[in-house]
Order: sequence, then C-alpha cells, then structure tokens
Amino acid sequence: MYGGSLLRLSLFSSRLGVFTVAAIVAGLSAALASNGALAAGTAVKIGVIADVSGSAAAYGMSQKNAYALATEDLKTGKLDAGTASVTFDVEDSASDPAQVVTLTQAFTNNGAALLVGPTLSAEAKKADPIAVAAGLTILATSNTAQGITSLGPCVFRDSLAEEQVVPETVAKIAGTWKPKTAAIIYGDDNQFTKTDYEIFAKALAEHHITVVDVETYHTGDVDFRAQLTKIAGAKPDLLVVGALVDEAVKIVAQAAAAGVNAHIVGGNGLNSPKFIQLAGRSAEGVVVGAAYYAGDPSPVNAGFVQRYEHDFGIAPDQFAAQAYAAAEVIARLAHDGATSSAAFCSGLKSVHVATVLGPLSFDATHDASAPSDVMIVSKGRFTLLK
Amino acid sequence: MLIQQIGNGVFLGAVYALFACGYALVFGVLDILNLAHAAIYMSAAFIALALAGAGVPLLLAIVLAIIAAGLLGILLDRVAFAPLRRRNAGTLAPLISSIGVAIMIQGIARAFFGSDDQPFPSGTFATAQLQIGSLRLGVVDVTVLGVAIAMMLALSSVLRFTSLGRSIRAVAADRIAAALLGIDVERTIALTFFIASALGGAAGVLIGLEFNSVSVDMGARIELKGLAIIVLGGMGSVTGAVVGALLLGCVETLSVAYISSGYRDAISFGVMFLVLVLRPTGLFGRRSLRAA
Repeated sequence: MYGGSLLRLSLFSSRLGVFTVAAIVAGLSAALASNGALAAGTAVKIGVIADVSGSAAAYGMSQKNAYALATEDLKTGKLDAGTASVTFDVEDSASDPAQVVTLTQAFTNNGAALLVGPTLSAEAKKADPIAVAAGLTILATSNTAQGITSLGPCVFRDSLAEEQVVPETVAKIAGTWKPKTAAIIYGDDNQFTKTDYEIFAKALAEHHITVVDVETYHTGDVDFRAQLTKIAGAKPDLLVVGALVDEAVKIVAQAAAAGVNAHIVGGNGLNSPKFIQLAGRSAEGVVVGAAYYAGDPSPVNAGFVQRYEHDFGIAPDQFAAQAYAAAEVIARLAHDGATSSAAFCSGLKSVHVATVLGPLSFDATHDASAPSDVMIVSKGRFTLLK
Repeated sequence: MLIQQIGNGVFLGAVYALFACGYALVFGVLDILNLAHAAIYMSAAFIALALAGAGVPLLLAIVLAIIAAGLLGILLDRVAFAPLRRRNAGTLAPLISSIGVAIMIQGIARAFFGSDDQPFPSGTFATAQLQIGSLRLGVVDVTVLGVAIAMMLALSSVLRFTSLGRSIRAVAADRIAAALLGIDVERTIALTFFIASALGGAAGVLIGLEFNSVSVDMGARIELKGLAIIVLGGMGSVTGAVVGALLLGCVETLSVAYISSGYRDAISFGVMFLVLVLRPTGLFGRRSLRAA
C-alpha cells in the first residue's frame, strides 16, 4: 500500500517538480519576453528648445509645428523609428536667452537623450556650453552663425551655415545682374544678423562688388527711413539686408518709399513664407539664399509639404523643414538603436538620410552637407532664381 | 538728402510728441508717472487694427480707437490711481500700480492677438508717394503729421481757452485749493486721463499705420523715449514735450544721416544729457503746464 502510495507520491512529486520547473521556465520566459518588449520599445526623449513666442516666434512656431507633424508621422509610420518610442518635448524659450539657459539646464537633468535647438545662434552660444558640459549631444536646426559646431565635441547642425549659403547667393547674383556696387543694412545687436553682414561683405569683395554704404539698426526698430534715405543717396545696385523677418519686412517696405532702386538680397532670415505674407508687394523681386526650397518635387518633400499645409494652413518654411529633417535623422538613429546621448553623438557622425532638405549627412566639423538654393520672390511665392 | 532727413525726423518727432504729451499731461496734473501709458498706446493700435480688419473705414477706425484709448485711460485711473489717491499713497505706489496694469493689458493683448508683428489689412490705406521738391512723402506720412499737429493744437487750445483747461491747470497747481474753489477734482482728473490716453492712443494708431506694424511689444520701444522726452522738455510741460520730441526725432535721424547709424541712440541720449547738464529742469522748466 505504502509502496504504491509512495510511488504515487513520488510520481506526484516528480510531476509537481516538472510543473514547477515548467512554471518557472514559463515565468522566466514571459519575464524575458516582457524585458525584450521593454527593450524594443525603449523611450527616447528628445528635448527641444524653440522660441515659440517673442521676437523670434516666426521661426520657433515653424519648428514647433514640424515636431508636431513628426510626432504624428511617427505614430502613422511615415517616420520609422523601429520599435523605439521617440517623443519630442518642445519647450518655449520665449526669445529670452535667460529662459534658454534655464531650459537647457533642465534638459541636462531630466533624461533627454538629445537636445535640439535653440532657435537663434546667440541663444545657442549661451546654452550649448551648458549642454556640452553635461555631456548632452546637441543638434541645432536653425543656428547659422559661425562657430556653432565648435562649441563642443558633440554639437551638430542640419541648418546650412550662412558661410555655406551666402557665397553661392552672391555668386549667382553676380552672374545674373552683374552689379558693381552694394549697400548693406544689418542689425548690430544680434549674432545672426552680424554674421550675415560679415559673410556678405566678404562674398561681395570676392566678386569685386564695392560696398558704398553700411547702415545698422537695433532689434525691434520700426523706422528705417533715415538709413534707407542715406542708402538711396549712394545709389547702390544691390541692397543687402541682414535681418530677421520682423525688421526685414519693414526694411523692404520702406526701401521703395525712400527711393532705393536696387535689387534686394537677404540671408536666411528672409527665407520664410511669413516674410512674403507680411511684406506683400514689397517682397517681389527680393532674392534669398536658403537651405530649403519648398517647391522641390522629391516625394519625401512633396509629402511633407502637403501634410504640413493640411495641418497648419501655411506652406512650411526653411525652419520647419530643418526641424523636420532633424526628426527624420533622429528617427533613423533611434531605429538603428540609439537611445543615449553618446549613441546619438556617434550616430550623427556617420548618418546619411534622404530628408526634406535633400540627402543629408554631417561633415568632419559636424556641419550639414546638403545642397543650397537661390530663390527670388515672384508673384507672392519663392521660386528658384534661374 | 538733408531736407528729406529733416522731414523724416519731423515725422518721427510728431509721433513721439503725441505720445509724450500724454505722459507730460498726467505728470503735470498728478505728479505721477503713468507707466501704463505705453500699454494704452499699444491697445489703441490693436483696436484700430481689429476695426480695420472688420471692414470699418480707416478714418472711423482711427477715431473710434482714439476714443477707446481715452475711455481706457479713465478706467485706468479708476482702477490703478483713484483708490491710491483716496488713501494719499504718495507717488511710488501709483507708479507700481501702473506697471501692474500695463503688464495685465499686455498679457490680455498677447492672449487675443498673439506675439507676432501684425500689419493692417492690405488696401487699408493709400501707399502713394508725393514728391515736393526733393522731399518725398507718403500719403500716410502726411496723414500722420496732420493728425498729430491737429491733436496737439487741440490740446493746447483746450488747456488755454476752455473751462476744462482752466480746471486742469487749477488741479495741477493745487488740488485742495481747486476743490475749495468748486472744481470737481475727480472729474477733472478723469478727463485729464481721457485726454492723455487719447493722445497716447493716437500715437499708437499713427505709428502702427506709419510703419504698417502693430505688436504687443510696440509700447516698450517708445516708453523709454517718451520718458526721456518729458525730462528733456521739463517734467509736466506739454510744450516742452512737443519740442523735446521734435528735437529727439531730428537728432536721431540726422545722427544716422551724418554720423553713424550705430551711434544713433548714444548720440540722441548724449544730446539730451548735455541739455540737462545746462538746464537741469529741462527745456521748459518744471510746472509750466500750470502756467500754460
């Protein structure tokens, strides 16, 4: 009896053991599977600093819109981050350098894998050293002043620097209109507009175009008549405008009234549909060198333009395109397994992505290698200058 | 070029003058700096912009915006200054109170209109240019100058030749004595705020039209200049404010034309500094409103 009972007990025990082992194995498998699922869906938080309000809001809003579209495209699969869960934490720096610094400090402490932004070069010069010191990789999308990428070993930008775009613009104009003289007006209290002045002056000299007058203004000025009347007296063939949108709109509007009869040329600051919208007829004929042409018929760009217009009721500008291109690069790197700041830094050095800006990679100095365009405002639209 | 640049300076100075007259009037009567004046200047520009956007004819939109600015001024006095006046709060508390109201008005405007610069709808005003000798004038420039001169002449006439003007001057000289003489001091102060704010509002509308740009921050750009002008003209002197404003407009313009645009503000404020060193009470001394 006992023997039989013992045998049954033994069989029961051994079955129990098998079940136990099976249960443990199953549990472990489930746990492993679960861990695997967690690993595959790793959250990748991208800290974005943009001037959504304040004097640079025209650019920051475009950037905010681009990240909203990118978030939507990640959900619908139009942007492929693989199994990674990429989120863009967009914070408004309100065109205030102090707020940029505060937000940068916050992003160095809250688990962001990458810092994207800030909007303006002057802000970047204050904020980037803080992120660099904390080991946070930076991808700038709208900083075009000289020296941004040399602020740290992991500072990249997908915005073409003015020194990449302006020489091509001046070369194109020199070949098209053969100007002999130029006048320059620029904001002397802003890093971006000062850079514009320096690079334009150098490029004009290279093409033997004599600068007959240089005038300055301060950010927020609305009356440029005194400077433009003086420029009109110098009768230049070209008027170079180193300005952000708000001032540029008023300068081109007041130039004609002041009697300036020159071809007007601007840098990146003028490359925004908002410039045409606000300047109206005064914008006609203005030439702008830029990293992005919304009319580019490539499928990647055409789809982006169509979705952006659908969502926001306005065509994307360069700032939106560069921000969206950053999202395309980030999605590719996250897809390839980048989850940490170090992984993004090493990935950015070798990435090649077909973006809305065209084929994009980063050179040895971490500046963007991408094509630029020279555009002219015609019938209320940017078109390529032929 | 000189004539054109002087013309540019006069146009700019005329708008500065309208703005600064309001500052000077309130200071002359109440001995307080109304730092919400720039917020009313901005509000009037937005009211005109909204009315023009709704299809109201431009001239009517300007008049309505100026009246609205005047009414806002009365409201400002009731909210920010009258309660403090009743408690004899001195001059510092009203200053802070006006800063608070200014911040509130800016916040409301930002919520309604956003942070961006906004132009008037296209076709709101004529963009034609007139050429008189070597002077090139826009139709808007002429309108702005005309309205500014008309309003300053009206202010001067009101102060000199009407019973309201006499009441304002009496309250400015001595509030208690004016009350003893039967003048309704609170009503006079409310009307002073109406006139001052209407002038500030007119400046806002005109500068918005002149440069086809209205923004929440536009008051901050002129506020410091307005303060400098009333110090230069003589605190509380309306005549001084007009002369100081025209002087500032011309110095700013001519320094750009003949010295360097980079030193514009340094030269303008340098000239003001020199004038104040020579005449510490400003060009027209203190309290001349009371003798206006």
